[in-house]
Amino acid sequence: MILIPFVALLLGAFIALAIHLPAVPGVYGQYLAVACLAGFDTVCGGIRAGLEDKFRREVFITGFVSNVVIASFIAWFGEQIYINLFLAVALVLGARIFTNLSLIRRYGLTKFQDARDRRRLQVQAQTQAVASAQPEPNP
Amino acid sequence: MKGTVNPFVSQFNRQSWVMPVSAMCLVLGFMISLAWVTQRTRTSRQHFLSPDQQIRVNEASVDIDAFQRLSGEVQKLQGDKTRMENALASQGGQSKVLNESLQEMKVFAGLTPVTGPGVVITLRDSQKGGSGMGGTIGIPSDAIIHDVDVLKVVNELIASGAEAVAVNNHRVAGNTSFRCVGTTILVNDVKIASPILIRAIGDPNTLLGAMNMPGGVLADIRQTDQSMVQIEALKTQELPEFVGNTSHKFARPPKDAK
Repeated sequence: MILIPFVALLLGAFIALAIHLPAVPGVYGQYLAVACLAGFDTVCGGIRAGLEDKFRREVFITGFVSNVVIASFIAWFGEQIYINLFLAVALVLGARIFTNLSLIRRYGLTKFQDARDRRRLQVQAQTQAVASAQPEPNP
Repeated sequence: MKGTVNPFVSQFNRQSWVMPVSAMCLVLGFMISLAWVTQRTRTSRQHFLSPDQQIRVNEASVDIDAFQRLSGEVQKLQGDKTRMENALASQGGQSKVLNESLQEMKVFAGLTPVTGPGVVITLRDSQKGGSGMGGTIGIPSDAIIHDVDVLKVVNELIASGAEAVAVNNHRVAGNTSFRCVGTTILVNDVKIASPILIRAIGDPNTLLGAMNMPGGVLADIRQTDQSMVQIEALKTQELPEFVGNTSHKFARPPKDAK
């Protein structure tokens, strides 16, 4: 289940390689790189929202498209006014990717530890039940 | 989710996230694959560099094959020229004298191969790592053979009486230059790299003495690492001719030249 997005990622890359698109020329490659960063951030955010039970399909898909477009626009705009604004995009999106990934990690870790603790407590309760079921030795 | 209500979270509409995320991952994979910088896209981005950066990139990618092909042709043509000059000279005594002086000049200018006794000096980058941080991270610039080192050695050889010098089989002539580009050295605009073989023709003993002089150029390099310098005398060796560009556009002999 959790592997489906990774398979889709590889499949997308494979399709792009298979149909032999011409190389993205020059500075558009830079916009595309920034757009990739935005897309990666949105996907991380989507996974996080899904794990937090907050996921909504419309929010996610519009978020993906608008983030990609806004990131490319900022990179293009920065190029026009001679400020490397794509660095700002890279910085912000990079920080968000870190945050999202760390939250995903903490979610997974908590789930794993909770399951372990629950199992431990169950085993404890069982042994106690067995012990209390036995007749108390009389003093 | 118990006490407070998050206004951005729909309380009714919980959807599976896996399929939408997978769909967008497909698009993302496609985009990343397009944005991946390969050799092809790198060259297409080259003209976005500033002019001085472009020059550096171009110099780092000198076409070795084309150079070797062209220098082979130059060699052949110079051989032809010498043969024709000799043929011309065999026609009469006057032109024979002329040809002799011409060949003399060609030897002096480095346009013919020459043989003779001499020395061969090998300069190589130090194999010792840097002294700092585990020994491999910082390589001090002293441990590398620079263009200046080659220049100094060649200069010293000529000063101490070498009649012909070649660096990695590139003959040093009047318009030879030594220059650093990145991690390689250019001789006559051709890239060479460590180890650098400098051959010189002259009196071996004089040359050896001059090179091993205390405080001389080689002593400087040896201070960093003894193994960076090797020098030996040879009874005979052959140096190739100069195969670079010999045409000139601006220089003209003055009218009253002798």
